Amino acid sequence: MSHLFNPLVTAEQLYQRRTHNDLPVELQDRIRFDTARLTHSAGILLRLPQDITAQANVLLFRYWTVDNLRDHEFNDASAATIYLTAKISASPRSLRSVANVYKYLLTADHDSSSTKSAPHSYESHARGYYFTEGEYQSLRGRLLTLEGQILNALGFNTHVALPHPLAITYLQTLDIFSPSIPKHAATEISQRTVQYLNTALMSPQMLYLTHQPPSLATAAIYLAAKEVGVTLPDVEWWEVFDCEREELGFLVMAMGSLDAIARGYQERDGAKGMITRMAIDNENRRSSLETDNTTPRV
Amino acid sequence: MLSKGKSRWADDEEDKVLDVQRKKEKEEKKRIKAEKARKAEEEAAAAKQAQEQASKAPDSEIELSSRPLKRRRLSHSPPALVESLPPARLLRFPAPTWQKCRSVEDFEKLNDIEEGAYGWVSRARDTISGKVVALKRLKMENNNDGVPVTGLREIQTLRDCEHENIVALREVVVGEDTSKIENIFLVLDFLEHDLKTLLESMPEPFLTSEIKTLLHQLTSGVAYLHSNWILHRDLKTSNLLLNNRGVLQIADFGMARYYGDPSPKMTQLVVTLWYRAPELLLGAERYGTAVDMWSVGCIFGELLTSSPLLQGKNEVDELSKIFELCGIPTEATWPSFRRLPNARSLRLPKNPVAQGSVLRSKFPFLTTAGSKLLIDLLGLNPEKRPSAKEMLEHEFFREEPRMKSREMFPTFPSKANLERRGRHGTPNAPGRGKATEMGEVDFSGIFGGGIGNGEQERGGGFSLKLI
Repeated sequence: MSHLFNPLVTAEQLYQRRTHNDLPVELQDRIRFDTARLTHSAGILLRLPQDITAQANVLLFRYWTVDNLRDHEFNDASAATIYLTAKISASPRSLRSVANVYKYLLTADHDSSSTKSAPHSYESHARGYYFTEGEYQSLRGRLLTLEGQILNALGFNTHVALPHPLAITYLQTLDIFSPSIPKHAATEISQRTVQYLNTALMSPQMLYLTHQPPSLATAAIYLAAKEVGVTLPDVEWWEVFDCEREELGFLVMAMGSLDAIARGYQERDGAKGMITRMAIDNENRRSSLETDNTTPRV
Repeated sequence: MLSKGKSRWADDEEDKVLDVQRKKEKEEKKRIKAEKARKAEEEAAAAKQAQEQASKAPDSEIELSSRPLKRRRLSHSPPALVESLPPARLLRFPAPTWQKCRSVEDFEKLNDIEEGAYGWVSRARDTISGKVVALKRLKMENNNDGVPVTGLREIQTLRDCEHENIVALREVVVGEDTSKIENIFLVLDFLEHDLKTLLESMPEPFLTSEIKTLLHQLTSGVAYLHSNWILHRDLKTSNLLLNNRGVLQIADFGMARYYGDPSPKMTQLVVTLWYRAPELLLGAERYGTAVDMWSVGCIFGELLTSSPLLQGKNEVDELSKIFELCGIPTEATWPSFRRLPNARSLRLPKNPVAQGSVLRSKFPFLTTAGSKLLIDLLGLNPEKRPSAKEMLEHEFFREEPRMKSREMFPTFPSKANLERRGRHGTPNAPGRGKATEMGEVDFSGIFGGGIGNGEQERGGGFSLKLI
């Protein structure tokens, strides 16, 4: 059964994190999105199987429902979760590798999202990727502290069930791979499904914390089938996968709108790269200074 | 994309309106059905209405969005068909939550439980619920990598398990200072005994019926683990707990891990030497559930004699003890063993002794089925060892003497609970006890178990009967 369900976030936790937080909600969303993307990139560079990276994403979002976003630097939190998730999986990665990958990803004006970074940039930035032993030791200390904090916040519950394998089973159940459907359509629909599921990991709505894997899988299939133009059964087939119509509607909306959210972020400040806690703190300090200076004291 | 999304919402609103409309229709129909006379006409009318509605709907939709018509048809075109279906009963999943660990300060330590057998485990009381639990402290020896992976795996696997023969992990608690998580404790159900200490302190070994009860429970637990893709990798009597209600539970998952099929490469440095399967000793990197079954075989033997079966001093000695007891492997009995890393340096006698013959003679009191099971479990070829599931169906558990029911299982003073065999040697008070003693031989099964005096039941004549 544990492959089918996850622990879910409580309404209380969601409310607390939204309101009792000095960061504006939009900024919180942005941080979640950026960090999830960073985790994703790191997973690729660490050559981790996607399920490990996905689990790391889910665990980090869970952690942030307990501890404050601002307790630690965001990319440290990302690195610590991916290190922890890999450690308990069948493909562990050394702390040194994790540190190197994050150093590379975070080096200034390197856009973590673009896979097409020009080869000449490697050399010009090579010095930036270099770790001094002191730097490494301090990062190591931070990550190991964070690992403990994450485990403590989650009550040491690291179980994450992913919808991806379910989605494959559902697609088979829906006869997507039968000869009656053209092979390229079947391939595309499965790819789109997995893509929707992976993208949903970055949703600031934290879909993996609010919905169970069967519903996520169903919604992704619904969207994919619609996009590819494959006709699904004329009945309420989602009920077979224990997904309510309402839930399906919500998830289809949420997954479908993520593309626009991402585009919006990119248009607004595409080249800026990842938001850091330090930047936010600096910004706050600056603005508070400004207000101190400009507003006349009463 | 965003605008498209918005229009979807709009549609959903519209759908809801239509849904309500449809429901009204349904109700109307039901009433109409009662009046049988007009039924046919009304149905035709309803169908017509539905048709009209279906043809009308796309118009209104096109105004709102460019959404394909498919979905509309999906929920509306065959109202008659939808109507005949009862509301679907969907599977609802439990949704546990996560929250911060409690502090170990919430527990009041009662006493240490023997260190050797458990690692650092103490008996403690939860000051909030009043429950007595076992607190196991995670070893943090290799601090270079943070929280040790063995501890995390132990928590991970135990948390996923829910079976009466596997010790329950209630929660994980941490030391008072949470700025650095260094003291981690598992809160486990407290069981009075571990099998090793019990076997050492028992004046006589278990009866066959009792051995069956224990072995069957052990096998159920192992079968559960294996069906959930967990290898225990450290089954031994000191990791088997027993409570005073005859329930056995598997504990200590420090070596446990998830595996796959085909199995991933894993370390062969697992399982306490005396319980380690020959393929591990020969250096196999890909192994499976059979390593646990070998340990089950060793435990079976240990239950019979009260002392560990294969007490090798080191890997080589262990292997030679295994070959002494179970025979020498040949290409015929274990086809691929020569290819294992450590088998190349192995020098074996040319004329091997027939396998099993030593085991049979070592346990003369065991029935044919019993010794067959033991020989199979301690088979050198891992492929041939029975799986836990197969073992549960074994003749041995079905033949006489039957398993002793748990309620009838004797109780013992618990060392972990700081109890002692206080009445040892003192004669029982006359009176009630007398009657039971009279019928000792014939009725021991009836009187055994329930009442606290373990020695009394020991006297039963089952071993005699068996011969």
